[in-house]
Amino acid sequence: MSAVQSRVRSARDRLEQLRRRPLSVRARLAALEAEAQENRQLNRRIAELTDVVTELLIPLSERNEDRVDEVLAAYRAGQV
Amino acid sequence: MSVSVTDDGIRLTSPPATPLVVTLDGRYVWSFTPQRDGRPSGSGVLVEWPAALTSYLHGRSAVRVADVDGERVLFDDEVVLGTPADELARVRVEDRQGNPLAIDKVGHLCRAFDATDESIRAEILHGTRRALDDLREHAGVEAYLNYGALLGAVRDGAMIAHDSDTDVCYLSRHTSPADVILESFHVERVMRGRGWRCIRMSGGDVKLLLPLSDGRECHIDIFVAFHVGDTFFQLGNRSGTLPASAILPVSTITLHGVQFPAPADPEAMLAFVYGPSWRVPDPSFKYADPPAGIRRLDGWLRGFRTQVGTWTELHRRGPAAPIRRSDLAAWVHRQLPRHAPVVDLGCGTGRDALWYARTGRPVLAVDFARAARGVLQQRARRLGVEVPFEIVALGDLRAVLTLGATLARSPHHVHARHLVGALDDAERANLWRLCRMTGRSSFLEVAVAGSGLPEPVGPARRVDLAELVAEIEAAGGVVELQEVGPGTDLAGQPDPAVARLRVGWPRPGSSAPTQPATRVRQHPRREKQRSVA
Repeated sequence: MSAVQSRVRSARDRLEQLRRRPLSVRARLAALEAEAQENRQLNRRIAELTDVVTELLIPLSERNEDRVDEVLAAYRAGQV
Repeated sequence: MSVSVTDDGIRLTSPPATPLVVTLDGRYVWSFTPQRDGRPSGSGVLVEWPAALTSYLHGRSAVRVADVDGERVLFDDEVVLGTPADELARVRVEDRQGNPLAIDKVGHLCRAFDATDESIRAEILHGTRRALDDLREHAGVEAYLNYGALLGAVRDGAMIAHDSDTDVCYLSRHTSPADVILESFHVERVMRGRGWRCIRMSGGDVKLLLPLSDGRECHIDIFVAFHVGDTFFQLGNRSGTLPASAILPVSTITLHGVQFPAPADPEAMLAFVYGPSWRVPDPSFKYADPPAGIRRLDGWLRGFRTQVGTWTELHRRGPAAPIRRSDLAAWVHRQLPRHAPVVDLGCGTGRDALWYARTGRPVLAVDFARAARGVLQQRARRLGVEVPFEIVALGDLRAVLTLGATLARSPHHVHARHLVGALDDAERANLWRLCRMTGRSSFLEVAVAGSGLPEPVGPARRVDLAELVAEIEAAGGVVELQEVGPGTDLAGQPDPAVARLRVGWPRPGSSAPTQPATRVRQHPRREKQRSVA
């Protein structure tokens, strides 16, 4: 979806919300805070995925099975 | 002023504004500031015992409440705490090895070192120095001594009495939390490569375990510090204003004759951490961290091991789990080929994993609680069976993906008894991810939601069965078999509404899922109650 379409949809959602029921500033603030916290949590997920991919990608792309086993074992040892 | 000591806490009329120190049978256990930590009670103030201490307060003890210098004693008497039945015992605030414990400044119980343990103190100092050298020279980060050890070094050139652990920090050059976390993963790998044992506490905090010659372990926290915009963040939970120039280039400070890298301006760092009155000793000090900073750090770095402490405590002190295999294990065993491997997820102290091993079935035990591993391995040795155990927190995506990759290469069936109800949404999503990666059936047991049903054991919830099935299907699973009926909970007590599910995870492109067979289970067998210990 293009950025323009996305903004249009977001504006339409907001308009729809306002039409249905006026929300208090306090309620909207609480919702915004919850949404901000959800977004913050993506940082850890991005880091976890990037770490796994970067550590595993090279041995996988080299089709180096022994090295894949080694990396997986090292990761698993890292949990202990 | 009168002071009394009861099970509720310490009650003081006209409480002083200065900190007080509590010793039990001559051992330091806790310090508090009455006006800050107490609440109005009658004509004075009641300071309640810290929650972490209350389970130890059963028996007789010589309680002494005095000021920090020990010169002004407000209370010094023999007291009986707990029930009259405890009267003959002495209160012992100790770990399992008999080492004294004390409350630290965030309310946790930790080991308390006597100021006279000089050889042990030397081991801690040299271990901390080695950690800092490894961080600076091998992990390539700007690491420095911080917190209590830095405070002691600047104030007296000596460690603060009762301080048991040391903390080091490094200033990250990254300003995006995701990059800060990645760097912390790298730091952990380097430190493991240097021979350190580590526990990851959050995306920006790794704990090093330094073994001491008296059998104890010193914990050295490696905390990250970083700037986002104009705000400086430093783990634990500190946030505020501190320029990078207060830290870099690092200076040198001496503690008991050992040199350490320190912030460029140690006094600015101490004022940032402990406030403007950092020069005045206050063993009851508590951090006053800005809530907005804590909220950000929680969101960025934490959330994958929030339940570890609760379950560890349950394994240590909770109701004894039965040691006989569960009915779920027998149900699974009947449906699988004799030597088909099983992974027992959330195995706890391992009643089922051990039973599978005894039947000759290869089994991998997985749990996030180290306390569970200790019990399981002890029992495995007694039974003469091999049960590999892996510590994996289902909230940790890296751990889940790499365990999944390993299980995909060596396929295992999943056994997960009363696990689903103990997970949050993110952990549940990771559970389905892991199940799907194994490429084999998953066998689940859950306590079903409904009115008038007993509460599950521990911080678990009952599960809405229809929602669970929908969630599994959305994750790509197919419920092949479903049974609902009476069963037992984790403590072996009868539970009238327990569901068992067998879930398949068809590969994309395989044949369409069939409708599940649903049975109602009757006649539960009561589990024989035996204690793990």
